[in-house]
This record gives sequence, C-alpha cells and structure tokens, in this order.
Amino acid sequence: MTELLIRNGFVYDPINKIDGEKMDIAVKNGKIVEKIEGKRVKKINASGMMVMPGGVDIHSHIAGAKVNLGRLLRPEDHYKDVEPRTSKTRSGVGYSIPSTFTTGYRYAKMGWTMVMDPAMPPLKARHTHEELNDTPIIDKATYPLLGDSWIVLETLSEGRIDECAAYVAWELNATKGYAIKLVNPGGLEAWGFGRNVSNIDDTVPNFNITPREIVRGLCKVNQLLHLPHTIHVHTNNLGKPGNYENTLKTMQCVEGLNHNNRPLIHITHCQFSAFAGNDWRTFESAADKIANYINAHNHVTLDMGQVVFSDTTTMTADGPFQFILYQLSGNKWINGDVETETSSGIVPFHYKRSSYVHATQWSIGLELALLIKDPWKILLTTDHPNAGPFIAYPKIISWLMSRKAREKMMKRINKKARSKSLLPTIDREYTPYEIAIATRAGQAKALGLKDKGHLGVGADADIAIYDLNPEKTDLNANPRLIRRAFKHAAYTIKDGQIVVKGGEVVKSISGRTFWVNVEAEKALVETRILKEKFAEYYTVQYENYLVPEHNLAVSAPIQVHAEV
Amino acid sequence: MTVSMRPKYLFKVPVNARNISPDAFASQTIDKIKKFEVWEGNKKRTLGELFEITGESGETPKETSIQVTGDLRRVKRIGEAMTEGEITIEGNVGMHLGEKMKGGTITVTGDVGSWLGAMMKGGTITVKGNVGDYVGAAYRGSMKGMMGGAIIIYGNAGNEVGCFMRKGLIKIYGSAGQFVGIHMHNGTIFVQGDTEGRAGASIIDGKIVILGNAASVLPSFTFDDVKKKVKVDGEEILGPFYSFTGDLVEKGNGKLYVAKAKNQHLDFYEKYL
Amino acid sequence: MPIVKNVTCPICGTFCDDIELTVKKNKVVDVKNACAMGEAKFLNYSDPHHRNLNPLIRRNGTLVETSWTEAIKKSAKILAEASYPLLYGWSSTCCEAISAGIELAEEIGGVIDNTSSVCHGPSILSIQDVGISTCTLGQIRHRADLIIYWGSDPYSAHPRHLERYTAFTEGRFQPSEWKRYVSRLRGVIGKKKLERASQLALMEEFSVPPITGNQFPPTLETEKERKLIVIDARRTHSAEFADYFVQVEPNKDYELLQAMRMLVKNEELEVEKVAGVPVGVLEKIVDVMIGCKFGVLFFGVGLTMSSGKLRNIDAALALTRDLNFATKFVIMPMRGHFNVTGANMVSIWQTGYPFSVDFSQGFPFYNPGETSAVDILSRDESDAALVIASDPVANFPRVAAQNLVKNPLIVIDPEKSATALMADVVLPSTFVGIEAEGIAYRMDGVPLPLKRVVKPPKGLLSDEEILRRILREVRKLKRSQRRSNA
Ligand code: SF4
Ligand SMILES: [Zn+2]
Repeated sequence: MTELLIRNGFVYDPINKIDGEKMDIAVKNGKIVEKIEGKRVKKINASGMMVMPGGVDIHSHIAGAKVNLGRLLRPEDHYKDVEPRTSKTRSGVGYSIPSTFTTGYRYAKMGWTMVMDPAMPPLKARHTHEELNDTPIIDKATYPLLGDSWIVLETLSEGRIDECAAYVAWELNATKGYAIKLVNPGGLEAWGFGRNVSNIDDTVPNFNITPREIVRGLCKVNQLLHLPHTIHVHTNNLGKPGNYENTLKTMQCVEGLNHNNRPLIHITHCQFSAFAGNDWRTFESAADKIANYINAHNHVTLDMGQVVFSDTTTMTADGPFQFILYQLSGNKWINGDVETETSSGIVPFHYKRSSYVHATQWSIGLELALLIKDPWKILLTTDHPNAGPFIAYPKIISWLMSRKAREKMMKRINKKARSKSLLPTIDREYTPYEIAIATRAGQAKALGLKDKGHLGVGADADIAIYDLNPEKTDLNANPRLIRRAFKHAAYTIKDGQIVVKGGEVVKSISGRTFWVNVEAEKALVETRILKEKFAEYYTVQYENYLVPEHNLAVSAPIQVHAEV
Repeated sequence: MTVSMRPKYLFKVPVNARNISPDAFASQTIDKIKKFEVWEGNKKRTLGELFEITGESGETPKETSIQVTGDLRRVKRIGEAMTEGEITIEGNVGMHLGEKMKGGTITVTGDVGSWLGAMMKGGTITVKGNVGDYVGAAYRGSMKGMMGGAIIIYGNAGNEVGCFMRKGLIKIYGSAGQFVGIHMHNGTIFVQGDTEGRAGASIIDGKIVILGNAASVLPSFTFDDVKKKVKVDGEEILGPFYSFTGDLVEKGNGKLYVAKAKNQHLDFYEKYL
Repeated sequence: MPIVKNVTCPICGTFCDDIELTVKKNKVVDVKNACAMGEAKFLNYSDPHHRNLNPLIRRNGTLVETSWTEAIKKSAKILAEASYPLLYGWSSTCCEAISAGIELAEEIGGVIDNTSSVCHGPSILSIQDVGISTCTLGQIRHRADLIIYWGSDPYSAHPRHLERYTAFTEGRFQPSEWKRYVSRLRGVIGKKKLERASQLALMEEFSVPPITGNQFPPTLETEKERKLIVIDARRTHSAEFADYFVQVEPNKDYELLQAMRMLVKNEELEVEKVAGVPVGVLEKIVDVMIGCKFGVLFFGVGLTMSSGKLRNIDAALALTRDLNFATKFVIMPMRGHFNVTGANMVSIWQTGYPFSVDFSQGFPFYNPGETSAVDILSRDESDAALVIASDPVANFPRVAAQNLVKNPLIVIDPEKSATALMADVVLPSTFVGIEAEGIAYRMDGVPLPLKRVVKPPKGLLSDEEILRRILREVRKLKRSQRRSNA
C-alpha cells in the first residue's frame, strides 16, 4: 500500500472545522493517519493548492435500467463526445449519459470519489449493480425505489409499520441498496394505468392510501431501521408550476416525527419542486418560500438539481412527469414501467438560455443555494443528467463562488427571466469552505457516511487537490480559474492511491459498492408469507430476485441495528 | 491548384480519410499532405502510404481542388465538413462522402456509398452514377438531416433519401427506393424516375416531386388537387400531378406531387375532386 | 435424486425462471415446467455427436485436434494481426462473456456485433428515432386487458409467453382466462380435424379464410375480459387462440400501422381498404385499442423483416405512443435468443451503443448499415472473424457467409455448428445456463441468474474463460511486438 504525505496545501475539511489551514495530510493503507515517516513515503507538494476530501454526489443517475435505456436512446448524443482508449483507461462515450467507464473516469478527474445512484427498480437491481461494477475508481451506492411498491402501500395503508419496516429491510438486503427512495409517491402506481396523483392528499387509485401516508410511513420505517441516510424524496407534482406548496407540505408532514433534531427527509433536486405560478405563463420562482422554511427548520436536507444550459437527457422514475415533458418538448420519449414497484421515463431535453422557463429554472437552483443560510442543508447536484450533466459542476461552483460569474450568465438569459430573478438582489458568494461543504462534507454527512467527506484520522483516504491558490487569487473575481481548477483536479487520491494527476487518469482501480445490511432482533420477515405474496405479484421466482453479494465487484456492507 | 491522388492498391478494409478535403490540404506542401494521418481499418497510416499524391494545393481551401482517381469504394468520409474548394472523384467512392459539408463542390463520375451528404449544410454534390441509402440523412437518433446545399444524382438512389431533411435540394434523375423524404421537416426532393413507395412517410413539411411511378401513396396523405405543373428549385416541371398533403399522422403540411402519367393506379383519388 | 429449482431456461427470450430439473449422475433426467423446446434442450443438449469436445485447428485443409494453448495462441495471432476483425454472435451467452468480448474487441480494434443486428436491429434503430413506451412483463400480467401480437407467433417461438405473462395468466387487476384457453384449445383441435377432412374431401389445397370481414366477433365488444388480437400476414398457430385475427396483406404492415395512427388521431381515411383490411374493421380495432384500460402490442420479426423494416417499427412505436394520450399503451419486441437483450444491455453501458460497435479507431463508433456484420461481410471489408454462440454460415445471406469463411475464422461454440465446421480454429465451450453460471436479461430487461446444474465435460472452458485467455494472449503478443519495435 502506498504511503503518502500531502504537504503544505490549504486544507478545507469542514467536518473537522478546518478552513484553509496550511497543513500536511498523511495517508497509509488507504486511510488518513496522524503522521507518516520514512523513505517509502511518497510526497506530494500541494503548496499553493486546495486540499479537500474527495467529492461526494448524493444524487446522480449513473447506472441501471433507465440510465441504460437513456444511453440507447441517444446515439446522437454519444457521437459528439467520444473517449479513445489509453494505456490506462477503457474507451467510451459522453456526453449527457456517459458509458460506465467514462462515468468513473470523469468523476475522478474532477476530484469526486463517491457517487450515489438514486433510482434503482428493485426488480432490476442486478442490472444496476452490473453497471456499478463497471464504473471504475469511484465508490458507489444505490437507492431502491420503494415508494410505490405494492407491499409497502399495503402494509402502510393497514398501519402495519413494523411489517413494512421488515419488508424494507429485506428489500435493502435483497437488492443491496443504501437508502429508501420515494419518487412521486403513489403517482407511479397510478401511472400503471396512465394516471397520476394530484397532490400529497390525493388517494392512490386501487390502494387505500395517500402520498402523505406513504411519506410519513416510510419516514418512520427509516427511523425504526436506523438507516444512515434519511428517506430520499422526489416530490409529487415535480416539474409543475405551483408545486412548491406541495413541497412545503411534504416537508411539513414529517415535522412531528422528529425527536433528536436530526434530518428526517431529503428533498432531492429541489429546483424542480420550487415552482410558483398557475401555469407556464405565470410560472415563477418559489425559491424564497422554500428557503424561508428551510432556514426555520432542521429536519430537512436538500440538493439543488441545478440547471445548466445544455442539450441533456432527462430520466426519472416519475413516469407521468416524463410524459408531460415529452408533450412539452415533442422529443422522443421512453417509458418503462416496472411491475409491482415503479415506473420510469426518459426524454432528451435542451435547456435554452432564451427560454423564460428554462432560464428561471436556472435561477431557482442558485437562489435556493444562496438563500438557504446553512450550507449543510443544500448540496450541489444537477440531478445528473436531468438538469445537466455532472461535468458541469465546475461551472456551478463558479456561479456559487462568484457574483461576477452569475452576472455574466444573467446578461445572456431570457429578459423576462432576468427581470424576475432574485439573483441580482443576492450578494452572497460561497467561500471554499462552503464549497467543500456543498460538494463533499455536507453530502457525506447527509448520507451518514462516517469515513467519507472529511480528512480526519481514520477517514478513507479519498482526497482531491485543486490547483487554486486562495491567498494569491481573488477567487470571486476569477470564475474562469475556479472552473479550470475544479474541472481537472491536480490530484485525485482514492483509497490512498493516486488515480488522477494533472486532470488525467493515471491509474484505474475498482471502487466499492456500499449497501446497508440491516440486523434485527428477530427474523424480520416471515419468509413464507413473503414468498406467497411474491409468487402472486412477480413474474420471477423469489430466489432469483435476490442479488447475492458476489454479484458486487467490491462489496462494502454497512451494518445497522434495527429497532424491530 | 490541383492535388491529384491515386490509391496505390485496392483497399481491403475500410479507409477513414476525413482529411482528404480542401480545408486540410490548403497551403500544405505535398510532402506534408503525404504525412497526414488516415486509418486503414485499425491501423494508422499516412496518406502517402496509401496514395500516390502529386500536384500542388492552393493557398486557401477555395483555391484548392483535389482530384482522386481509382477505386475508392472502401474509402469513407472524403470531404467531410469541407467549407470551400473542390473535390473530383473519377471512379467509385465509399460512404459518408461530403458528410456535414458546408460549401464547395464534390463531383463523382462513378457510384457512391450510403450517407452521401448526410447532415450537409451547404455546397453542391454531383454524382454521375448510383448512390446507396440515406442520401442527405441524419446520424442515428438525430432529427437533423441535411440542412442546406444541393445533391444532384444522375443515377439511382437507395432507400430513405433525405431522411430528417431540414432544408436544401436533392435531385435524382434515376429512380429511388422506399421512403423518399421520410421524417423530412423541410426542403425539396425531386425524383425523375420511379420510387418504391411510401414517399413522404411522416413528413412534417417540405416538397417531394415524383415524375415516375410512385408505387403507392400512404393512406395518411390527403388528396388535394390535380396540378398542371410544379416548381422545383425555380424550374417549372410539367405534369399534370396528383397533389397530396401530409403526413397527417404527424399533423404534417408537406406536399407530395406524383405525376399522373405514370400513376394511373391512383386515378381513384379523382373522385374526391 | 437432487432436484434443482428456479432454474432459468437458456433458450428463448421468454427466459422462464421456474424450471425444475432432476439431476442424476451429472445428467438432467427430468424437466418440469418447461415447454417442449426447453425440455428438449435440457434433456438432449449434450449429444456427443453434435458436441465439440476438443479444441480444433485447421491443418492442410482439415480440422484436427489440438491443445488449448495452441488454439488460443493461434486465435490471438489471427485477431491481433487483423486490420478489421469482426466479432459476431453473443446473444446466447452470458453477460460476463459479452463483457470480455467487448474488452477483446477494444483491444484488437475490431467490430463487435450481436445477432440483434439481423433480428430486432431495426426495432432498436426505430427506438433511437422515436422512443418507446414499454414495461416489464408483470405489468402486462397484472393490468393488460388488450393484448396484441403482430408478426409474432408466440405459440411456436415463445411457447410459455402467453401462459406466463399475457393472455392466459392471472393478475391483480386481471382475472384468469385459463378456462377460456382450455375451451378454445378444444375448439382448435376440433377445427384442425375438420380442416384435414375437408382437405381430403376436396383434394385441393385448403385455405383458411381470414376472419377479417365486416363481422366483428362479439367477444371484442364486451367489457372486462382480456382480449387477444393477432395480426399477421399468415394465419399462425397463435391466431387460433385469438379473439380476433387480422390478416394483413404481406409487406403492407407499414400502411396498416399508419392508417391506425390516422384513426387514433381522429383523421379520416380516403381509401376503403388498407393492406387488405376494410376501413370499417380497422375503425373497430382502433376503438378497442382506445377503449382498453391497458393495452400492449408485442411484435416479432414478422414485422421487423417485412418490407419497410425499421420504419414498420417506427410506425408501431408512434402508434402506441400516441395511444397514451387516450389510455395506457405499451409495446415490446419479442426478442428471440434468451440473452439477446443482455447482449444489447452490456454493449450499451460499456460503449454507449447496443450492437454493431466499431472500435477500429480506438473509440466506439456505431452505424448499423455500415458497422453491422452482414453489411461488412457483404461488402467484403473484414479480414478475420470470431464467431461465438451463433451460426452465421447457416443464417447469413450467401455472399456474407462466403466472405466470412474465406478469411481466418475462429469459432467458440459448444456444438458443431455449420460455422464451426468451416472455421480455422474451434474453441469448444460449455453450455451456459446448464454447465456454467452467469447473468442474462429477459426480453423486458429483467436480469436473472443462469445456473450451473451439471458439471461440464472435462477440458471444456466457459465462453468467458476462453475469451479472457485470448485477451491475455493478445496483450502478450502486443507487448512483445512493442518491445521488438523499440
Ligand atoms: S418458453 Fe422459452 S424460456 Fe420458457 S421454457 Fe420454453 S424455451 Fe424455455
Ligand atoms: Zn434524480
């Protein structure tokens, strides 16, 4: 194992409250250690550079059935962005939905070392894991879609919370999942017959339950199981004008469940859920309303879902929403429902500066990030590739850090959007410390990943070094330098190994796949009953549904003890 | 100024020669041109290894003309994205000739493979022989085919001429295969000979004129009228023509003109007059 | 005797996973739950007369036994030296082998193509133009009240498709139809007897009159029941079970589909008949489609290979997409080989493209028609080939097959296929799903494990292992080449 000493960098390690202090970081056996000596130690001179924990991405669609269908749909997208093979790397394609190898390399080149795929249909879990196995360098995890699972709906509607928890624990184990994902809860089941739910209190057709009950129920389950992350929620009515009220209700509906002032719910790609107005003409930002609520409460974390102006590919489990997007855009459309569990949809989408709606969406994401005071509460994502591909992160970092960068873009967007945007009234500029929170520390904390997102002793030696000197450069005035530095990390270190140098992959390794292994007092699920249900609901055999651990290239189970 | 090229042997595997183009050759010495990189299958070669090259190139692309003589049926992508100048090919040539071309002219005396002038934006391509499928089409999955310029074919063309075409002109003096103009958004296609049917499938707009036998007209076209003549690129073509509008499945407003003389089997439409 | 349960059947795209095998002395002696096709495979797969049991190499024109080392070395040499090698097949092996194959193709700068380029390739190209509204098969079992098979004869090609996923299953929102199935089966058998009798009596070729006419069967107009419609150019076996059979004039599927799209969009047709079907009948069918709660259209190679090819699917995809404005409607290709879907899936996530991937310039390039096996071979552009888990000599057009065998050819196959007999190197492999494990994807993209239920004959390697060995050998060759160059 390599021993490394990273010398003299400006270290940003918010979890350990280190804010740009010049110091050394020592690495041994893939972990951060107190100090290291000897001849075998490889020294990296990081003076004049920023040293941060490896980037973490709480929500990025990088693998699985839907992502792959998205790739299938878009040869014209790959064609314009190819990666030839090198002596160290496999070939591949970009742009908005890169092939798996390219995904791993591109994240690593930016200094990111862990990425969560947020939408795994349990029935196709094996597929997600096969792709994650083929995604090099970075660590990964994936969230099974559970908000429309028949067994969840049935147990919750009958108030059988313990049974639901048992089932969820079984699903996490069966699918090697990490967290409970809800997408348009109830709406996806309704989409099975081409319908949807209209708000959090609408009844799900054929099931005696409302989205509110599903969210509250799974939130309780999450607590019972002591899962590391909160429930991860894509709200009802996402992408529709006026949806912010529903978003507020979704956050409010779990308020009472709080007992220890810890987050209970993660609202993902919040930009898409912060729309005011009655229709697309009166559509406007509700970022201030969401921000006010978040500033007054501590039980919610968000991620941005920041729009980047580009030709991208939208893909969510929200089948009915994707159908609307197809109608709005007239682009090609894929729908892919999954029996008993969920749905999905894919539509290529071009965010244009000249469009009032798109430009306003761009503004909303940044407004949220700048109006919410506590950077631990809002994390940087593009909901890759929904609001833009992840390779745009350096750009977004520059918008957050530099008012000048925002103003530059403002000049080029739709006039009406510009005049209505709240951005001109906001002076705030993220510090490097806050960027480190939004892109790594905050993400790891929200995910409950104890060894990620920081550089304290014992942490995984996942480190990014950026060639950016906070003492010598006026960062706010030089957004171009920010972008350049974050685009190509000077070094990326993964598990103590130098994988990227000067923005190029110098070594490819397999990352780990994290999943939660719930241990409980008693056997959680009565297998016989589950098997019976299973035979009735699925077209595959119970045994063939389970993903064995050896299907994961490098399995990294996290043990938790449930309360049931 | 002309650069003359002749293949040194008959290529067995595909040769990817996107830099046989006035834009690449302009202001380069022959020695330099000989060092240009090309792919022969998976092997990197130089132009000089594959071709005899003589002559002189012009200062600018516009002043550069390239003449290639020989059997080039496995040579792909000649003239890709060229902006100006001239390429003359004496013989047959492979796929993607003049793809994404922006200007200048390409002339071929023999036959050409598929994707001739795919996604081209400007310039003129003239082919004396026959061509393959997908003339002026888009890349897989893209909805942006030919966006300008002109393709003139004296021989026959294959299937899906002008697929996803947006603008420009395609003229075929021979016959064409199935699905002439499929998914076309705009532009003009003229076929002097016969077609194998389904012309205008799923078009949104644009004009297709067929002088020969049209085989069939899709049920999703509505019959408008009998027209004495139609205009193609400013030129009047005498009919009479059955005139259709479609494709209604795409709420299209494209025009399909089919000469009455060769299409007696369509006379039942006259009852709607 | 040990019984192995929940075995997946490595034959057709239905990819049943409920097979029970009885194994005695390393031999499958009994098969439960499989159809005749699946049962025959499990019982007879290892007929030594048809099996390759040793690596073979061609010497002086004849195939002779050789060692693995030599066979692998020879294969690596052929592939490493080639300028435009073709790697073809893949649909009847596991994803792990496909993955190794893609790595090999990248390493040697070759073209890798799977059999979908000659079956559902057109479907995929159309999906790339139009998109697709689809789902997993369980959705259909639970919800579909209208099931259409077009250009597909599940009864013959996917025998358990009807019983496991569609017309004759029971689902949460769809009660069982199996009683109807039995009564109809009796009817069919009775009718067959009548047919035969009438044939004898008339001593002339008996032709079944198409049901299409102005008489619409009453079953289609009743509510609630699951309805089965079969559309085909000929009256197939499956048509006999259908509530309604539409006989489409051969090669006129495109016209019929576009006409249906017109009716879905409330446009009027100016013709009286489309593809031999009276517009009145068509209107009723479209009414049933719009009126259903959940409809599905399965299509087979009968549609992808009829005149118009990918554009037929283009129209079918658009039709089902448009129907979603009125109701729920999905569409699904009836994939043939058990893992043709997996071959596409792995190729997509590793290269971005589902088949016909050309690595000759060091990155993936895709353009079926240009980079597809049949087209490359028809134009005689490749200079070597590796064929795995398929038999192109038996299936490809003559010119393509001729050009395939005139260049150096490597075949990986458990069986003595026509292609293997023409090869320069034959690498005998195990039967994945019987003798080797792996992962494969059902036609709707559900991944399932392939089991190893018996031990393979001695000395045989899995497809994956063979490919990995070739890959290692190719790398070795290249390294020594680089060294000698330097
Ligand atoms: S239907 Fe297909 S998969 Fe199922 S048993 Fe028969 S051959 Fe095997
Ligand atoms: Zn998302």
